[in-house]
Amino acid sequence: MTPCHHLDPSTVMAYAAGTLSLELGVVVATHLSVCAHCRRQVRDAERIGGLLVEQQQAATIDAPRRESLRAAMLERLDDAVPALPPVPQNDAESADPDRLPKPLHPYFGPSLSALKWRWMAPGMYCIRARRSGGGSLFMLKIAAGKSMPLHSHGRSELTQILQGAYSDALGHFAPGDVADLDSDVLHQPVTVPGVPCICVAALDAPLRFPGWLARKLQPLVGL
Amino acid sequence: MTADAATGSTSPFEATRIVSTPTPQARDPRDWTSEMLSVARARDRECFMRIYDYFMPRLCLYLRGLGAAEMIAEELAQEALLRLWQRADMYDPSRSRLSTWLFRIARNLHIDRVRREPNWIQVLDEPERMDMDDESGVATSAESYAEHVDLKSRIDKLPAIQARLIRMSYFEAKSHQEIADELGMPLGTVKSSLRRAFLKLQGDVRGTP
Repeated sequence: MTPCHHLDPSTVMAYAAGTLSLELGVVVATHLSVCAHCRRQVRDAERIGGLLVEQQQAATIDAPRRESLRAAMLERLDDAVPALPPVPQNDAESADPDRLPKPLHPYFGPSLSALKWRWMAPGMYCIRARRSGGGSLFMLKIAAGKSMPLHSHGRSELTQILQGAYSDALGHFAPGDVADLDSDVLHQPVTVPGVPCICVAALDAPLRFPGWLARKLQPLVGL
Repeated sequence: MTADAATGSTSPFEATRIVSTPTPQARDPRDWTSEMLSVARARDRECFMRIYDYFMPRLCLYLRGLGAAEMIAEELAQEALLRLWQRADMYDPSRSRLSTWLFRIARNLHIDRVRREPNWIQVLDEPERMDMDDESGVATSAESYAEHVDLKSRIDKLPAIQARLIRMSYFEAKSHQEIADELGMPLGTVKSSLRRAFLKLQGDVRGTP
């Protein structure tokens, strides 16, 4: 799987700096698990972060406090070295089509077929993450050949395709591709015929649907 | 000043020939790589404490910027530096500059702390595991990292708004939307300015033109 649609550099930077919302971060991690191009971008953004830390001014810590922290550190140099966790994810596992990407396991479990979809609208199913921070994290399953309502997003939205595909004005999105959208984008995804489109998405704020039908749909959709 | 004028892509930066002489802003041009290798090979406590003295207050500033309270920032910075000592034998200067490694460890400790609530899990990108980095297609020679990249002055040469956004993005626990609200700029402008700035700085940190 070689994704064609990547993360925006501004998203990469926020992720690398540790300032991206936790929900968006889960989708970023999902994309990174399949995208070497974006992993390299993250490394570069981390280099910028490291150099910024190296070249910035030091925080002011008063002298007695600094000394006691220093003494505490010297004492801890003999602490036992904690074991590293085992290398995650082997190839056999990631080749299993039923296996969800690892970053999703804590929220949705490991198995695609075990997911408990909830009906949302005709041809549309949704699962919200069990728990998350201020934004929302959810998986969507949309029937093949279905047109979604035209909508834009209040703030940022990240969507990673896991199975199936959709097209909109921005292009064709297939497994591994990520759509990195903000409030400037008004789009109407249409899923391709054949298999349902399954994706994981995170939002910083609620979707905005224009038009009366969509407004009726919004409370139903609950996103 | 309109947002568009502020984010124009022309920059004096491209026209400037950067030489590798440390500038006054580069407060300490010491090569931390060699210090770190002494720590790894000889478990040299003096070398380690020099690294500690330099980075401890700087990591604290970064962590406070991410929203950690002062005591928490100190605790996380101590923890990050202790990891550096404990995992010194994993340090590979051809894969990563010392500051990059420390930055990743500190950031992940911070995120893990934020996620310590039920259902948030440890970040999977194990920062101490250099052997898991895939760097194919990128220049990774030790020399390219040993070069002193004076990023601070390069950021100062970016258009003012880009420089400000870079600093806000790395050192303030604010989403792009919050930055946009604070500066009265459209979100799209914030993102596109950051995008331009990143692409310029990326060339520098990759050690390629």
